[in-house]
Amino acid sequence: MRDLCAAAVDAATSAGAEYADARVVLKRNQLVATKNGRVDRMMDAESEGIGVRVLVNGAWGFAGDRRLTAEGAREAAVRACTFARAAAGKHSRALTTIEPQSGRHQSPVERDPFAVSLADKVDLCLRADEALAGTDVIVRQAMVRAQREHKLLLSSEGTEVEQVLTECGAGIDCAAARNGMFQMRSYPSAHIGSSCQAGWEYVDELRLVDEAPRVAEQAAALLRADPCPDGITTVVLDGDQVALQVHESVGHPTELDRVYGTEASYAGTSFLKPGDLGSLRYGSELMNITADPTTPGGLGSFAFDDEGVPAEPTPVVEAGKLTGFLTSRETAARMGAGTGGSMRADGWNRMPLVRMTNLHIEPGQGTLDDLLTDVDNGIYMETNRSWSIDDKRLNFQFGTQIAWEIKDGKLGRMLRDATYTGITPEFWGSLDAVAGREAWRLYGLTNCGKGQPGQSAHVSHGAAPARFRNVQVGVKP
Amino acid sequence: MHQPTLIENIVVTLRVVRGKRSGVATTNRVDGDGLAELAERATSAAESAPPDESFPGLAPAAEPTRVEGYDEDTAGLGPDEQARRAAAAIDAAGDMPVYGFFTSAASELAIASSTGLNAEQRMTDATALVVAAAEGCSGYAERTAWRVADIDPAAVAREATEKAARTTDAGELEPGVYRAVLEPYAFADLLDYFSHDSLGALGLLEKRSYFSGRLGEQIVDDKITITDDPLDPHGLPKSFDFEGTPKQRVILVEHGVARGVVWDRTTAAQASNGATTTGHAGPVESRDWGPLPYSLSIATGEAESVEELAELVGDGIYITRLHYLGVVDPREGVVTGMTRDGTFRIRGGKIAEPLVNLRFTVAVPDLLREVYSLTKKAALVNSQNFYGDRYPYGVLAPAIAAARFTITGVGSKPGI
Repeated sequence: MRDLCAAAVDAATSAGAEYADARVVLKRNQLVATKNGRVDRMMDAESEGIGVRVLVNGAWGFAGDRRLTAEGAREAAVRACTFARAAAGKHSRALTTIEPQSGRHQSPVERDPFAVSLADKVDLCLRADEALAGTDVIVRQAMVRAQREHKLLLSSEGTEVEQVLTECGAGIDCAAARNGMFQMRSYPSAHIGSSCQAGWEYVDELRLVDEAPRVAEQAAALLRADPCPDGITTVVLDGDQVALQVHESVGHPTELDRVYGTEASYAGTSFLKPGDLGSLRYGSELMNITADPTTPGGLGSFAFDDEGVPAEPTPVVEAGKLTGFLTSRETAARMGAGTGGSMRADGWNRMPLVRMTNLHIEPGQGTLDDLLTDVDNGIYMETNRSWSIDDKRLNFQFGTQIAWEIKDGKLGRMLRDATYTGITPEFWGSLDAVAGREAWRLYGLTNCGKGQPGQSAHVSHGAAPARFRNVQVGVKP
Repeated sequence: MHQPTLIENIVVTLRVVRGKRSGVATTNRVDGDGLAELAERATSAAESAPPDESFPGLAPAAEPTRVEGYDEDTAGLGPDEQARRAAAAIDAAGDMPVYGFFTSAASELAIASSTGLNAEQRMTDATALVVAAAEGCSGYAERTAWRVADIDPAAVAREATEKAARTTDAGELEPGVYRAVLEPYAFADLLDYFSHDSLGALGLLEKRSYFSGRLGEQIVDDKITITDDPLDPHGLPKSFDFEGTPKQRVILVEHGVARGVVWDRTTAAQASNGATTTGHAGPVESRDWGPLPYSLSIATGEAESVEELAELVGDGIYITRLHYLGVVDPREGVVTGMTRDGTFRIRGGKIAEPLVNLRFTVAVPDLLREVYSLTKKAALVNSQNFYGDRYPYGVLAPAIAAARFTITGVGSKPGI
């Protein structure tokens, strides 16, 4: 891998690049999924190649080649330089200065998920699938997944880092239908379960089979539940939904490339401006958000990002005030603050972009019950079902799979079709409690989209249940 | 310019079948060793799976449908030609900052099987997309075609820039139900989201489709006819699906009546009701959705222009583009999202003052239940966001004027 990267970087600098980096990436993914007692997906995918990124006369160029040969590496480098010259544009790119880095990092794994046989994976899914059977349940699904990414980055500045990152995850979903109504429940999260940078021990700890009967019962019960009433009220969100709220309304708007407009034509920009750093009131005093690529088990954990910047925690919001952005070497240089450290690429054939690593809301105090105790009337919502947010990440609407009425500090009747909507700083300004460390856990998403061409990132969020006052539940008309 | 990306890749997906067991493996290592290991992994997967009595087996040999959709000029575009087209859009925008992309590609899909299948199709596609935006204003335009000669990036930029210039000083709007004109960009996006749950066989079998229990019923206005037409050269034509079945044109909604959904071999076998594949199996990464209509086409109407549609609406709103859609209730076809890059009030039958970005929550069938008209001309709207491996697809949509579009919130002003 090293020789190929070196060949690419040499070819790029010989072709006129003032900066070049090359990444060789070997990636393997495995997915087993069952549906209604039969194997629905049985997938084992591998992809390998080299991606070469260059700066020529201040303009970026990038090319990838699937061939892991010296010829493929050199040709990718030359194509990247050709593209950089063709796409010169009007702006010259500069990078923050970093010391050349070297090192090797391997994420800790107790039990290699690829050493677990496919037959055992199928067996676990089928047992969980069977345990989802119940009244009115029409779709039962279980899935397990594993991924290993082995990559080496070498740059013309002397950085040479190699990393092996292993992750796995699992989840169950079931759908119930009756009289034209359709409801879903998932565990531990919706949208492809939850994943962690860990070995198979993570999947074991999820106890899919044990959780399945509860999930099925709730899906069926939702068919008979009352619809969630509209109105302005107190909302308590479970950790899963808080994680998504952090992701959409804090993570994406603090990506500095979005702030500078490079995502404007696809996912959008941001309501934040570079000058807001240190002054913008993002939320209440209880809001503390940290980007931390060093979190054990986080899907966004690494020793070095895909520019070779060493991992370190960055406070993004402290006591409700904006104190940090997610940056690359280029955007940090442009703003004159930070050193980068959030650049990640989706495999060998995509350029690194500013991405979330692990973005956490720091825990507060107490338990979920403590949060409920101080609510006379309100709604408790659990597990994301739908999500939508505007291009500046201000106006959002989220729906959850299930909700309960809160009356006099206790959970009451189950409610279906709950949604809530808000404006980002107002909503976070209404945060008046976050549960404590014991209720705080990592939620791992594998479907964070960004970039053109599109890139999918794996991101973790540490979150705990949280309480928000005066929230618009339902829609206004 | 940023994200200037050149990707060249070959991906081989192998399905190994052992009786009623099957397993799939994928690689981009196409030398002898890579393919041998691929076979080992797929075989291991097949042998680890229990028998699936509903597995329909591999598709039989069939003559693929002849379609257009490949253009040598598009396939041969190099970095200089691509950059020149992007620069043409930037130059045409004048002083207005523009954001967007030009992309072009040649893709090839080939399938062979032990049942005698042997088919291949070469495809090209190109898209120019421009968001013209400054403080407090933004506009949008896009063109997609399989022939690059059909795309004029400068014209795309002019359309976006002209739209942006009309969006300054945008005002707010009270939430409520409004008559609306949707440009093809907005209409196509809404229908694409609706299609994932409602217009494929898996959604129907799993009862999350709006069509569940409603096939044969009048569900929307009789001016609405929706097909999936992979053979239409005005779209991005497809010859066969990812199971190797020749593509068929499928009527989904005919003059407002729900007629059917698209099928693949797997869902047809699961249905056990005589359903047969229509050639709509998707790529491996989309298989969770089951068969999908990758070539949606909405029948055009009688209106000469969007201005004529505004006249029919009289009092309402005009929507250029939607953003970040989310399905709130699949069974009822409820979708939420924001308007973006060109939202206006319609007053006295004219497109009037600009509006801020609006949150909508719309049941798609409800929107289509009372339609004033559609334009005579349809536009091909790109629907892929170029994740994973390239498989070009889009929606052929006219602009539409309808009686009910539900605004549920107010967002920020347009622009950067």
